[in-house]
Amino acid sequence: MYDFDFEKPSTIDEAVAALSSEGAQALGGGQTLIPTLKQRLNMPEKLVSLTGIAEMKGVSSDGGTMKIGGGTTHGTVAKEAKGSFAGLAKLASLIGDPAVRNRGTIGGSLANNDPAACYPSACMATGATIRTNSREIAADDFFDGLFTTALEEGEIIVGVDFPVPEASDYQKFEQPASRFPLVGVFVAKHGDRVGVAVTGAGEDGVFRWTEAEEALAGNFSADAVSGLSHSADGLISDLHGTAEYRAHLIGVLTKRAVAAAS
Amino acid sequence: MSVAKPLPHDAAPLHVTGQARYVDDIPTPANTLHLAFGTSAHARASITALDLAAVRAAPGVIAVLTADDLPAANDVSPSAHDEPLLAEGEVYYIGQPIFLVVATSHLAARKAARLATVTYAEKPALLTIDDAMAANSRFEDGPREYTRGDLAAGWAQAATTVEGSIELGGQEHFYLEGQAALALPQEGGDMVVHSSTQHPTEIQHKVAEALGVPMNAVRVEIRRMGGGFGGKESQGNALACACAVVARLTGRPAKMRYDRDDDMMITGKRHDFRIDYRAGVDAQGKLVAVEFDQLCRCGWAQDLSLPVADRAMLHADNAYFIPAVRITSHRLKTHTQSATAYRGFGGPQGMVGIERVMDHLAAELGCDPLVLRQKNFYASGGRYLEQENEQVAPSTAGVEEDLTSRGAVATGEPDKVVAVPVGAQTTPYGQAVVDSVAHELVAALCEKADYAGRRAAVERWNAENAVLKRGLALTPVKFGISFTLTHLNQAGALVHVYQDGSIHMNHGGTEMGQGLFQKVAQVAASRFGVPLERVKITATDTGKVPNTSATAASSGSDLNGMAVAAACDEIKARIAAFLAEVHQADPAEVRFEGDAVLVGADVIPWEKAVAEAYVGRVSLSATGFYKTPSISWDRIKGEGRPFFYFAYGAALTEVVVDTLTGENRMLRVDILHDAGTSLNPALDIGQVEGGFIQGAGWLTTEELVWDNTGRLTTHAPSTYKIPACSDRPPVFNVALWPNANREPTIYRSKAVGEPPFMLGISALMALSDACAACGPHYPALEAPATAEHVLEAIGRARAGESG
Ligand SMILES: Cc1cc2nc3c(=O)[nH]c(=O)nc-3n(C[C@H](O)[C@H](O)[C@H](O)COP(=O)(O)OP(=O)(O)OC[C@H]3O[C@@H](n4cnc5c(N)ncnc54)[C@H](O)[C@@H]3O)c2cc1C
Repeated sequence: MYDFDFEKPSTIDEAVAALSSEGAQALGGGQTLIPTLKQRLNMPEKLVSLTGIAEMKGVSSDGGTMKIGGGTTHGTVAKEAKGSFAGLAKLASLIGDPAVRNRGTIGGSLANNDPAACYPSACMATGATIRTNSREIAADDFFDGLFTTALEEGEIIVGVDFPVPEASDYQKFEQPASRFPLVGVFVAKHGDRVGVAVTGAGEDGVFRWTEAEEALAGNFSADAVSGLSHSADGLISDLHGTAEYRAHLIGVLTKRAVAAAS
Repeated sequence: MSVAKPLPHDAAPLHVTGQARYVDDIPTPANTLHLAFGTSAHARASITALDLAAVRAAPGVIAVLTADDLPAANDVSPSAHDEPLLAEGEVYYIGQPIFLVVATSHLAARKAARLATVTYAEKPALLTIDDAMAANSRFEDGPREYTRGDLAAGWAQAATTVEGSIELGGQEHFYLEGQAALALPQEGGDMVVHSSTQHPTEIQHKVAEALGVPMNAVRVEIRRMGGGFGGKESQGNALACACAVVARLTGRPAKMRYDRDDDMMITGKRHDFRIDYRAGVDAQGKLVAVEFDQLCRCGWAQDLSLPVADRAMLHADNAYFIPAVRITSHRLKTHTQSATAYRGFGGPQGMVGIERVMDHLAAELGCDPLVLRQKNFYASGGRYLEQENEQVAPSTAGVEEDLTSRGAVATGEPDKVVAVPVGAQTTPYGQAVVDSVAHELVAALCEKADYAGRRAAVERWNAENAVLKRGLALTPVKFGISFTLTHLNQAGALVHVYQDGSIHMNHGGTEMGQGLFQKVAQVAASRFGVPLERVKITATDTGKVPNTSATAASSGSDLNGMAVAAACDEIKARIAAFLAEVHQADPAEVRFEGDAVLVGADVIPWEKAVAEAYVGRVSLSATGFYKTPSISWDRIKGEGRPFFYFAYGAALTEVVVDTLTGENRMLRVDILHDAGTSLNPALDIGQVEGGFIQGAGWLTTEELVWDNTGRLTTHAPSTYKIPACSDRPPVFNVALWPNANREPTIYRSKAVGEPPFMLGISALMALSDACAACGPHYPALEAPATAEHVLEAIGRARAGESG
């Protein structure tokens, strides 16, 4: 680790101000950022911790929308979403281990946009809105390839608004060593609109499987997707699995998610 | 008697309270230096320029050494002298040490090591088995071949034949304690080295070479390792030599430990193999001809690859009699880490070959693989019944050559030709199998674990379930015990009895968590007839017992237990002679039991007897020596009796496979294992459990992946999956098979370090069985059977089927 300054503001405005200086970076739960600092892959001059900002924490419901503060930990989401938004609660409960879940935040995960992160699939499948200190960004416009998002320099994710689906499920095929998803599929049903989003597999990160979405729109059942298969083109081939295997898993996991949700 | 008791590991309380001291825990003097290697970024290249200015200028750096700065030999190979400590202009794998950073802290050394500017002229690298075969890149002049019987006649008798190939991945040792060494310079150029090693004598030898001093100027000590599994037989040489050289050049203590990633990048692993096979059975299902081509990827240096590949050949039969057989072994040289010893030492790879053949033949015949296996077991040997009258005769053999590595070449004539009993079945290398219990042990396991009932249940399940398929497999193990390099089968011990009756025990074996020290202490306590608490277990030390062999080949208890018994018996004989004279009794009648010495009608408490002997000017210190009898081996011809005896076992594993994804898990495992008359059933069962899990891990989740430049991409636990506690089968029944060793080993026990590893083969075969339930074709499952490989095998089983 290189030296850095540290600030811990208690409001969003203070945080935005602190982040406006050159070389400043937001710190969420630190579950991704701290290891990269330790490896000296990153050298911010100042870390601005977001963990002291009360207005960025917690889960609330507003009509059909679940509003989750950007600083809310995976553990809290797992607990709070349990009754009303089972797919999201399940997703959060499967991230890492208890230590990771008690520190890591939804804002940090989305801002980081790891190609194998779980949350982006839930955002894409439900059509969530990412709220920042300055604007609102639709999920479809937010994720922009590997580790890249629509966020500007110094912009903070203050919350995420999820339209709560009628039915949802997340299927995670864990890579056995790291337990990150080798492939993860989130399925969400909102009336006639069905979202199917895939993480872990795409060379450009999370994506929606529109063919499956269309097939499910009229007939939300595993049968509706049983004839579909995803192409291996554009999928990751790496030490953990080939593109063909990932393509196969997308089909299997989508069916499973639909079956579990319906 | 304390032998045969299920006592806990002697250091268990120290392990769980954190008091157990490993090399990295030894308090170091204030001026200790810390070392790190700068390593090669290319698999095969010449170094055209090496700019170390930035490394030297980095904070905390005291010195940076290259090959030119070494005071004497630049070699850390166990015997072939082909492995420089620091590269000499050429590099042969990604991770090869090029220069050595000496700094004031571990972190400073590691950070500085990254700052070098190395200019390489890349050369074509041979990375795979196929690359090496195409280039004829190998160790030894050509393949080794062992043949026995008339193959042409065998093939003529064959009613059913199969032909195929199996890939077997390597395996990272993943000892919890990484490699470590600490060198402390002494007066007059002497050196003391603490090394996390299974082979202190080799460390002593290599350090002496590196310093250009005789072996008596170097003393090596090791109290315990946090796991070794073969990975600390030769792989610790580089760290120990680096520390010793720096301690010599600077006059300051020097310490080195590898971080996990460095450890995985630099050190050797289990050899990966491809085994091509052809096999035939006659109309009765008896094997008539088998041919194996074992292609073994050895990496860039010879290390222990020749004996590893030999042992793979020696286990190509496993527990089966094969009348006509050819085993050909290619030892291939590639530009990757130099593969090394790993629990089983090639045996597991050889054994998977024949188990795959059995599985494939059974599929072809449409019969239960177990039936085919049982038909072909070696005939049962007679059981040893006489449990009394054990005599340990201390040997008086002279000193043998100082060639203590398994990589050494056998010199001199074999001891003697060992006769084969008339009518006995022999292995492909001509050793009579007179102790087989495969039939009895497997029958008992079938009974105990209800093989027939469970086979029927699995078939029912598979008929009723389309997505989840179950598989069941029972595989045997017959593993040869002894170093195949005959002269290594010797051991020494040093025992002192102090005047207060306390006992100090030392021997050449090393403790790596396996419980060797406790088992041998139990032997010492039993010989003297005293409670175990009287025996102090002490660190392995080349200054106390010289010329030791590695604690390897499962031989630790067999060899060191006998050597300690011999030393104890020597002291007992002296005490007995003295007390018999004082008490006017016959020395032969003196007995040592119940913490006392019984002389005629007198019961003399142990402490009093020892005090009397001391005052009577009796020497209460003795060395003990043992050499395994009755073995001889010609590795070029492939003939002889390389093994003193065989250890047996069998495992029945039940798995379930998700046919949509290939995910799988073990549901239940039942094991019966032959540890002879166990010296300590608790420790032995621990070895069986751990061995099985490690073997199953090798064949299922542990996948080493090199990219196409030769870089190992799985060099941390985040990418390389070893079995964890939660990967154990939920039902795991392990029992020992009571079977006194026919050969006169220490208390008729059997070696237990490596054999259970191969029980893990049943997990692979159970997965194969589950895949086979998916379709009409043989699934030809590769190892490791990762989810993706299982799915591919299911695809092969179903090939051509609709739906
Ligand atoms: C062992 C382990 C296992 C894991 N397994 C999984 C898994 O299975 N699935 C999964 O999805 N993830 C997994 N993770 C990652 C985990 O979810 C992290 O918590 C998450 O990726 C980052 O969240 P954080 O709050 O810790 O962010 P930090 O590490 O603090 O920050 C990450 C990045 O986001 C930025 N940032 C943080 N908060 C904000 C914000 N509110 N607004 C804007 N930018 C912000 C930071 O500047 C930094 O660039 C795992 C992590 C570990 C260590």
